[in-house]
Amino acid sequence: MTHSLHREGSLDSLGRDACLFVYPARGFNYHGSGPRIRRIVEIIYQGGPVNLIVSTLRENMYAPITREQVLGSISDGAKAYCVFDDLAKLKETLVRLKKADLGISLVVSGLIDRVREMAAEIGLDPHTINLSLGIQGKTEILPPADLRQFTTMCGHGMVSPNLVRQALRQVKTGRLEPWPASVRLCGPCACGIYNPKRSMELLEELAPVYAVTRL
Amino acid sequence: MIIQREVCVGCGRCQPFCPAGAISFAGLKSEVDQDRCLECGTCLRVGVCPVGAIEEHPHVFDYPRAVRKFFSDPCAYHPSTGIAGRGTEESKTNDVTGRVGPSSVGLAIEVGRPTVGMKLSEVQKITRALARAGIKEIEANNPIHSMYADPETGDLKPELLGERVLSAIIELELPRDRLAYILSVVKEVAREVDSVFCLDCYLRLEPGLVIPAEVAGTITAAGFTWRPNAKINLGLGRVFEPEERP
Repeated sequence: MTHSLHREGSLDSLGRDACLFVYPARGFNYHGSGPRIRRIVEIIYQGGPVNLIVSTLRENMYAPITREQVLGSISDGAKAYCVFDDLAKLKETLVRLKKADLGISLVVSGLIDRVREMAAEIGLDPHTINLSLGIQGKTEILPPADLRQFTTMCGHGMVSPNLVRQALRQVKTGRLEPWPASVRLCGPCACGIYNPKRSMELLEELAPVYAVTRL
Repeated sequence: MIIQREVCVGCGRCQPFCPAGAISFAGLKSEVDQDRCLECGTCLRVGVCPVGAIEEHPHVFDYPRAVRKFFSDPCAYHPSTGIAGRGTEESKTNDVTGRVGPSSVGLAIEVGRPTVGMKLSEVQKITRALARAGIKEIEANNPIHSMYADPETGDLKPELLGERVLSAIIELELPRDRLAYILSVVKEVAREVDSVFCLDCYLRLEPGLVIPAEVAGTITAAGFTWRPNAKINLGLGRVFEPEERP
């Protein structure tokens, strides 16, 4: 599960961060789903996501691959995962997807109130919600909250806190600009929902106050 | 994962990429702590090694170590469900599968998340507590289902307990009137778990993306609140292959 409901950060920051997932279901609409999913991904590309991965290629938007390679890799049962930094773009994409009526499950992960407004404006009636009831257990061993804003953007926890610390050090000391540092942080995320735009904003916000104890 | 000592040039570039913090210097070369390694493959997948010294452990697919990869590498497909990631679909396709109906609620207990990881013995603490509470059966289309040794007690297969994974999801479906009790059980067992877990609650919505008051009231009465962000199935899926429905 892509864990996107547990993304952490301020409401303002989370308001510029919404994921869209495309899921065929085995035994229900899996066989013959390839062309439908390919069309959905084409529509998503038109909408301008800031990151995207399909399960049949597992290379994000910043890897040296073309859209044709991504689309060409899609076969029956492929899943697609993407993230938008602008809810207006996501809304336009959903309008097109609703019109295309391709019959594959679509899931949006974002602020509930925003998704509610968007769904009402588009004329969608959401079916199921997955609520995060928070982190339980030995929470004192978690990485600090400022780092979790980055690490929770990877659905499977592949972006390590140490890599975020390194990115902060590199930005703080001027060895790397925030954008390439963010694209580097995208690398380990195999589910394509690490939002490099939001990550860049966070690096710009945090680097000035981050204490560098080693290079 | 292993780092070939004779090839490694000791640049240390791979070390910050490891989500488990399992790579460190041993002398002048980087080395993987095999107990801490989750076999997630991140160090290899990102292609950070300038000399190609990183490779998969030769026994990565041997049982029981293989569970590390299946529960930690999002690109690996679980043999029991054929699903990548953590091998579950929970609410994602509920509009076509109908797994969680209008009078029930789903709970997902994501042990080890975010980023901390755990030994599977921590999962057993929770499955045992659930079994004591009468939950003898978890979602069948979930890889943890195949790891049960005894559903009556919640015991997992003993050979798996020492394996360390990034996360695993215990997934169950309940009648809504059982939610309060099970949340209290989860709250209690949270004190025993030597890791963290994320708690998810998924349910059918009322028209207009309204969370049913009955469930919302139960969650708050149990002392939990939900985050302002959530995963929302838009209800656009349809069934195309009725002959294959289980």
